[in-house]
Amino acid sequence: MIYTIASSKLGIVGDPFIPDEGINVAALLSGGFIVEQSTPKPKKPAKTSTDTNEEI
Amino acid sequence: MATSTYLSNPLVTVNAVDLTDQCSAANLTRVIEALESTSFGKTARVYTAGLENSTLTLTMYNSFAATETYATLAALVGTSTTVKIKPTSAATSATNPESTLTGCYLETLPIVNAALGALDTIDITFTGGVYSVAVA
Repeated sequence: MIYTIASSKLGIVGDPFIPDEGINVAALLSGGFIVEQSTPKPKKPAKTSTDTNEEI
Repeated sequence: MATSTYLSNPLVTVNAVDLTDQCSAANLTRVIEALESTSFGKTARVYTAGLENSTLTLTMYNSFAATETYATLAALVGTSTTVKIKPTSAATSATNPESTLTGCYLETLPIVNAALGALDTIDITFTGGVYSVAVA
C-alpha cells in the first residue's frame, strides 16, 4: 500500500510516506495525517492490428 | 556553576507526528528493572538487570483541531507506537542525540482536563518499548 502525507506535522504534504518500524499507520490514517493511494494499475499495451494475410 | 547548559526546547514526535508546538514538558526516563539476587552469606542486597521498562511522560496542550493533539493520540490508546525526542530541533549529532522508544504503549489518554480560565492540558505516558539513541 502506498501512503501520501496529508499534514505538515508529518512532513511535506504530497510526499510519499514510508512508515518506520513501530509506526501505527492505522492511527495516522484515522487522524487524517496520511491518505491511502491506490496502487496504479499497469497500462495496457496499445492495441495494434497485425495483418497476417499479406498479399503477394 | 554548570559549565554547559541548554534551554529546554526539545523536538518531540509521537507516531512520527511532530507535536513539539503542543508540548510544554517532557520527561524521558530509562528504566531497567532491578531483580534482587541477594543470597545467603551476603551482607548487602545486590541486584541484577531485568527487563527494560522506560517511560516518556509528556505534558501537552489539548487541541481538537485537525491533525493536532487529539487527532494524533485518539487512535493510539491501547496500542503501541514509536516516540522520539531530542534536546533541540538541530540536526541529530553526538551533542544533540535523538532518543527513540520503539513499540512503547499508551495506556491512558485524558480526553478533557478543563478548568475555568485555564488552557486544557493533559499528561500522557508512554511505557515500555525498546530504547535506542542516534547520534548521526
